[in-house]
Amino acid sequence: MSRIVSASNKPTWIALGIALALQTGLISFQARRRIDASFVRMWILDSLAPMEKLVDRSTYSFSYIWERYVALIGVHDENQRLSHQVDELQMELHRDREDLTELQRLRALLSLSPADMGKTVVARVIGRDPARSQTVTIDKGTAHGVRPDSAVITPEGVVGRVIHSSNFFSIVQLIVDSQSAVGVLLQSTRRQGIVRGTGGRELDLDYIDDDNDLKPGDAFLSSGLDRIYPKGLPVGVITSVGPRRGLLKTVEIKPSADLGRLEEVICVLEHPQSVEVADPAQGASSP
Amino acid sequence: MTIYPMARASTFAMIGKFAVALVAVVVSQGILSFKFTVFGFFDLPLIFSVYYGFTLGNPVASIVIGSSLGLMQDSLSGAVLGANGLSKTIIGFFAATAGSKFAVDQQVTRILALFLFTIGDGLLVTILGLMVGPASGATYSGALGSWALSAMFNGLLGLVLFAYHDWHATT
Repeated sequence: MSRIVSASNKPTWIALGIALALQTGLISFQARRRIDASFVRMWILDSLAPMEKLVDRSTYSFSYIWERYVALIGVHDENQRLSHQVDELQMELHRDREDLTELQRLRALLSLSPADMGKTVVARVIGRDPARSQTVTIDKGTAHGVRPDSAVITPEGVVGRVIHSSNFFSIVQLIVDSQSAVGVLLQSTRRQGIVRGTGGRELDLDYIDDDNDLKPGDAFLSSGLDRIYPKGLPVGVITSVGPRRGLLKTVEIKPSADLGRLEEVICVLEHPQSVEVADPAQGASSP
Repeated sequence: MTIYPMARASTFAMIGKFAVALVAVVVSQGILSFKFTVFGFFDLPLIFSVYYGFTLGNPVASIVIGSSLGLMQDSLSGAVLGANGLSKTIIGFFAATAGSKFAVDQQVTRILALFLFTIGDGLLVTILGLMVGPASGATYSGALGSWALSAMFNGLLGLVLFAYHDWHATT
């Protein structure tokens, strides 16, 4: 210590003394609270705060530029990749929905008991007569047991009959064709009759024992007497009953099967006496 | 006559170094400690006080720098005004004295010095704070652990700083 305290170190000791006196004075003022020394802090704070703010803004600007621009390099490519992925996923979702819809249709088809229906085969509609839309082409033919006059149905009701068959394809005449006729019975009164296609989207009542109690909403089932369609299948529902024209009232019948949206159908290969049909709405059997 | 072997810094160089130290204090206290928790363990004013004390070879400048840094640290930290000022003044003086009397160019010596200065700084500031006002709330044992951690961080950062100084001096 003796070497430190020397005459040549006088400036050092003076500086140290002043600094210690200054700092101790500040502390003393704050301890005894006689003199408000807060102005010193205010001065220093006011001097340093702008620099602090400058540094803060600089770091903020740097991070802002980094996050908004530099860090976004490659985001465009990633966005493109994700867009393609979204497109692929949407297509996959669409395919899955199609498969689900098809599955539901096939389940509905299977709700028709083969034991009641006799021998059947499920066929897919692969074509439609573009001119009149009264015939459709299915992908089953004689090789699958499908022959002319085989009944074609869906869970909703009667579709038509096969009029031509090749080995692997068949032409089905829809029941709305003007050359088509189906033996029916009224579900409520069990009266028998015949409905005929109009060439349009509706069916006409061609004959019935008594038309006095016909009213809209009544359902016609296949009677089985035509030897083509199994008994008990839904054929159509009366939509309007008009004034008598000739011997019968004018009765319009809407086909039970949605003939405009056929995709899978059932071909009845054998002709049973009657079938237990599925409720088109519920998919459950009803007499 | 006392000989200071390290350097004969010009006035402008001293002012520049002082400005760097000042900015370091501002950044440390105002920004980095706020944004990065780990910077709360560093005491840049202390490190720079020791660094300048060891390297400047000018005790008066070291005292002024230490005193100023401590005062600014007090102002920005809200501590008792003068507590860090007094502590850093003493540290600056002792660092300059040690730099002129002993070989402080060994890494172990520097780390040990920074460690001891950190502990001493913590003790002095705490005592002064208790003398002036109520305790800050931190328990004494917790403060000891914090000082030890801070001492290690200061030692490591000081090593980097001194390594830069050594590299700069040789090139």
